[in-house]
Amino acid sequence: MSERWSREQVLGLAPDAASHKAAGAVAKPAKWSGLGASDGAVWGECQGSGSSAYRCAVELAEPAFRCTCPSRKFPCKHALALLLLWSEGLVADGDPPAWAAEWLAQREARAQAPRPVSAPKSADPRTRERREQRVGDGLEEFGRWLRDQVSQGLVQAESAPYSLWDDAARRLVDAQAGTLAGQVKSLAAIPRGTGSSRWIDRLLEEYALLHLLTQAYAKQAALPPALRETVRARIGFSTSQDEVLTGPAVRDQWYVIGIRDTEQDMLTTRRVWLRGHTTGRSALVLSFAAPGRSLDTTLVPGTTVDASLAFFPGAQPLRALIATRHEAPAQLPPPSTTIGAFQAEYAAALGHDPWLDRWPALLADVRLSRDGRIVDPSGAALPLHATEPWRLLAVSGGGPITIGGEWTPQGLRALSGWHPTEGVVIP
Amino acid sequence: MSWSEHITAALLGTRRRAVPAMSLFDSVPAAEGFVEWQGAADPAGRLLEQAAVLTVARRAGWPAAEAEPIAAAPPETVPLVPAVAAGRLARMLRGDHAKALPEWLAAAERAGYRVPARLLPELLERGRGDRALRPFIARTTGRRGLWLALQNPDWAYLATEDVPASSETDGVWEVGTRGQRVAYLTRLRGTDPAAAREALAATWAGEPAADRTAFLSAFETGLGPEDEEFLEQALDDRAKDVRAVAADLLARLPGSGYGRRMAERARACLRPERRTVRGRTQVWISVEPPAGHDTGMARDGIPFHAAGSFAPAQLGSNPVGTRAGWLREIIARTSTGTWTDLFGGTAMEVVCLPIADDYAKDVHLGWARAAVRQHDATWARALLKGGVVVDEVEALADLLTVLPDTERDAATADLLRWAGDQTGLLRMLERIPGPWIGGLADIVLSALSSAVRHAGDPGAPGHTRPADSRFLGQLCRLADERLDPAAAPKLAELADRHQDSWPLAELSETLRFRHEMLNELR
Repeated sequence: MSERWSREQVLGLAPDAASHKAAGAVAKPAKWSGLGASDGAVWGECQGSGSSAYRCAVELAEPAFRCTCPSRKFPCKHALALLLLWSEGLVADGDPPAWAAEWLAQREARAQAPRPVSAPKSADPRTRERREQRVGDGLEEFGRWLRDQVSQGLVQAESAPYSLWDDAARRLVDAQAGTLAGQVKSLAAIPRGTGSSRWIDRLLEEYALLHLLTQAYAKQAALPPALRETVRARIGFSTSQDEVLTGPAVRDQWYVIGIRDTEQDMLTTRRVWLRGHTTGRSALVLSFAAPGRSLDTTLVPGTTVDASLAFFPGAQPLRALIATRHEAPAQLPPPSTTIGAFQAEYAAALGHDPWLDRWPALLADVRLSRDGRIVDPSGAALPLHATEPWRLLAVSGGGPITIGGEWTPQGLRALSGWHPTEGVVIP
Repeated sequence: MSWSEHITAALLGTRRRAVPAMSLFDSVPAAEGFVEWQGAADPAGRLLEQAAVLTVARRAGWPAAEAEPIAAAPPETVPLVPAVAAGRLARMLRGDHAKALPEWLAAAERAGYRVPARLLPELLERGRGDRALRPFIARTTGRRGLWLALQNPDWAYLATEDVPASSETDGVWEVGTRGQRVAYLTRLRGTDPAAAREALAATWAGEPAADRTAFLSAFETGLGPEDEEFLEQALDDRAKDVRAVAADLLARLPGSGYGRRMAERARACLRPERRTVRGRTQVWISVEPPAGHDTGMARDGIPFHAAGSFAPAQLGSNPVGTRAGWLREIIARTSTGTWTDLFGGTAMEVVCLPIADDYAKDVHLGWARAAVRQHDATWARALLKGGVVVDEVEALADLLTVLPDTERDAATADLLRWAGDQTGLLRMLERIPGPWIGGLADIVLSALSSAVRHAGDPGAPGHTRPADSRFLGQLCRLADERLDPAAAPKLAELADRHQDSWPLAELSETLRFRHEMLNELR
């Protein structure tokens, strides 16, 4: 019997805040009929604004939703309301009616069917050669563009329009170097950005590393294989997920440090940072969602998952996929380090992959300072970046607390806090 | 620093500025298996390459500076609220039934609990926007709440709110926040009023005006004739609020110089007169409002423009003239004993005396205000029973607060029955604070059932539908917050009978929520 979810878990599935409210309004038992729940599914019929009733069913494993209402949101407010009623215990057990049973059977049949392994896209060697040629040309042109910017002087970038970087990015997209194009596009925000560091420092850093990348690609034949993989991945030669999953997997108790969501070009990216208890390795799990869809909520900050992770190839493996997830283990306290150990770890990682600009940190027994920094017991301090410290301060009460987050060159973005008595807190 | 040289060169451009030399490369040996480094030919390329090395070096070698951590919060003295109730508070802070928040906080305070630390930022942020919540928040956030509030300028309001006495520490009178000092002073007034007076007199001159007002208000506890001298001094204070508080407090000391001055003025205005009307000889009160406003009156707290003198006419009432306003103020500040002395007899008899010259309303309102200020239950009873104060619903509701608890419910029920029609009932109910229990709850329930019946029945004589549904809506809105949750079962029954009335359904649901909420906090 699957245990009942809490209200927070249900509301975590809502794609946006409006669905929150709408679900609350619909979650009144008077509006529903034919409510029932079984081991892995919940169903019911909701009285809509018209005369007809919407039929709604949810399968709890994934979770998967189905509703006959015309809403384009996923899950719709009826599905959320149904889950809210179920979480409050207002849904009795029973057998699914015909329409629900049919849908559930269909889903099961599809799950049982073997997963087709998609054939690798560019099997044809000529396509690959053509791509290499295009990318090579595109990068050469981009390298010239970079050197032009520097020889003319970056002071022009302060008042340059977005199109300066947009056009360069578009040319890279045409040259089939997609990942690099995305990075170039985000440079446009730097001269107008605010923050602790000056825009010129950041811009020169980014240009310098991009130059390094283009040079590395040009000399890729002479690089060791792992570094070559890293360079190619950063340019746009991605490895397919199936290929990664067939590779070796690392099994460990992975502590979920925190979640960070970013939006670019109508796509929401969710970064989940993990750290292994035994291996001490860091991992990053990415998931994506189109607007109106909800993001993956299977990894909860502060919990530990027993899983086998398959890493994408590279000189400093970081991005990973969850290959298999095992039974939920006991919840362990976070495998935290001192600030000094974290800095050494990050420096070592940079030695393998100099383009790393984010690294997960899990720092033990730190205290908050008045000027937006955290101090560890040895007295070393790191700045906090884009973090509201109030909830961390309230829970810690000025005492030591374990803070987990994402380290960037501008500072540490705190994503979770852990306290021995108060538990996990999200700032 | 080499980096800043590179920045300058990059800003100006390598055409105008030479690339700075960097000897780093010469000293670093080529690592195993790596490509021998060959410098780029053109200056821009060389600048970028050197900048790349510097960037990675800077990122890897970020120095961890020294910093001073914030001092720890004091330990808590009060237990945490039960986990279920904390979950419900989290729901309310997210917006679910947020109107019940003051009630939740008051119930938590009564049960002696405090709010969990993780919810403090949201609660304090709510208090920033909603002033009515602030006293409740101050009493349930414990010591950590105050500590946290002092770290954030947006939440500094908490320092001025009264906190429970248990959260004080030693030496609080010297170094505490305003709220803590007021609590200390109030507690001291309860045990040793003279010592409290001396403590305040010692620091009086140096306190800011807002603090002086708050401290003087604490003198309400343990008020006695020995305070007269200090209060007379405060009557001459620079700040208007301090003078107003001092005048209010002095009005409660009948034997004081203030009381005597006021009684004199009152006697000049109201006089007994024997008149014969229709063959009956009876004592009448003849009224003559004060002719002018002198500095003595101003000093004693009678404003030149009395409250409401130029207020626009409300339903059924006329704007108050200036002299009538002064009359009201004088009567409001005179001790109620003066009237029984002047006219003889009990309060009830005095209230029923007829008044000449059209000033009846002013005199009665003045008496009502005096009864409220001086906490005189006898006069309150007399005024309520005498039925002389009509149309001023707010004054009547205030009189109810003065009555002792045992009588209050019955008196409220009587008053509501007398209020009769819908608008009067609503205005009165707005002034009666929650919780509405016992007889009051019954009256409200019957009002709800008749309203919903009329709202749903187009054929009912004399009532139009829109007005009724508006009345129902407004009554439900008030009842949402104040009606006793124990009335939930009866209301659920009523809601079931009238299923298409959505205000009633919402009210029923809200009451069920509040009922569960209060159960969790027991």
